[in-house]
Amino acid sequence: MASYMNQAEVDPTQLLKGVLDLAVLAVLAQSDSYGYDVVRRLRENGLDHVGDASVYGTLRRLYQAGALNSYVVPSDEGPHRKYYGLNNRGRKALDQSAQTWVSLSKALNHLLNGRSNGHGK
Amino acid sequence: MASNDQADDVATYAASVRAALSDLPPDQADVLLEDLEDHLREVATDAGGSLAERLGPANQYAQELRTAYGVAHAGATRQHPLLRDVTVAISRLTTSSWYRQVRAFLPELRPAWWVLRAYLLVLILTRAFSPSTNLHPIPNPFSSRGLLEIVAAAIAIVLSIRLGRANRPLAKSGRLLAIGANVTIALIAVPVLAGMGTFPSFAMEESGGSGQQEVGQPLTMANGALTNIYPYSRDGTPLTDVLLYDQDGRPITLAQTAPDPMTDYPFAADGKPITNAYPLHQRHLSGDPVAAPRVALPPWPAQSPIVTPMPSPSPSASR
Repeated sequence: MASYMNQAEVDPTQLLKGVLDLAVLAVLAQSDSYGYDVVRRLRENGLDHVGDASVYGTLRRLYQAGALNSYVVPSDEGPHRKYYGLNNRGRKALDQSAQTWVSLSKALNHLLNGRSNGHGK
Repeated sequence: MASNDQADDVATYAASVRAALSDLPPDQADVLLEDLEDHLREVATDAGGSLAERLGPANQYAQELRTAYGVAHAGATRQHPLLRDVTVAISRLTTSSWYRQVRAFLPELRPAWWVLRAYLLVLILTRAFSPSTNLHPIPNPFSSRGLLEIVAAAIAIVLSIRLGRANRPLAKSGRLLAIGANVTIALIAVPVLAGMGTFPSFAMEESGGSGQQEVGQPLTMANGALTNIYPYSRDGTPLTDVLLYDQDGRPITLAQTAPDPMTDYPFAADGKPITNAYPLHQRHLSGDPVAAPRVALPPWPAQSPIVTPMPSPSPSASR
């Protein structure tokens, strides 16, 4: 996909990569969830470009880093589901990342607004 | 059928992903790919189409995983095609449904092992502290030593289960230590169990030489094995728990007939089996007790003679 794009254009998957941790943490802050459900909820929230493997890999990394706890919920039909949830570390990480994101997006919005305002005049 | 195809699809796709990530250090790969199959199955059940259609080629999926997980591509080291085939074969095997079923079932046996290891530990300690005594699978609760063994086993089992259930995340060295301790118990238990006298006869054969238990050779008869003795009183009443001794005062024991019929020996207060109390309590493998034989009791003469050795019966009878 990326190879077809103009080099100067921003690849949405690349852009997403930087904030995927934050997005996954935010989804889990709403409620505990298992891998495929996280993918689904991210897509429902408008992150269409999120890759299945990216979410799975992110979940495993966050878990390995100690930001998530996990538990298996057996299901009568279909595979057992490993649910992930935020622990204290995860919540702290989410708070910090959220702050960073807010200030970053503020700055970017400011820049972009300035551009569009300037352009409009 | 469809679900079979689906399972195959999942297994194949997962195997390809694993193969593509086979250059990762094993512990990292384990953490990353732990739930890969479950996850893929979830994807596969959600909607139609093969996994490759929905997720893209397995190689690309693996690459995305690698990036998201934050492990660098080992890159330059290309795998030999044969090694790669072997890797795929191994990962197919380990992702097959029966392997997964066995693996999934094994943790359920954990509590059983917690109980068993405590039991074995007490058995090992008993053997260590009193090497001369004969071990039994279930100690005799009517001897002080047996009672001690049972109480110790009960306490050990409770502690073992608590230890097992605590299940705290241990440091690597701690985990190795725990695994080592469990394996050691299992290994030491093997010779102890092998030497355990399941049937009292073994104890007799063992201690016969050392002369600890004054037991003679098992009694046998010329016309086949003698398996039990049924004593009757003079008036034909079957007697129970009749103790028999030979001319030297040694208990008369019979050769073992185990496994069928099996003999249940009563235990003395000191915990040792009483092997010369007749008739022996025997039961078949099926659990049914061995029935007493029908016996033809001799008709005693009307005038019962006095039961003492008599040098010449006829004069005494006429007297």
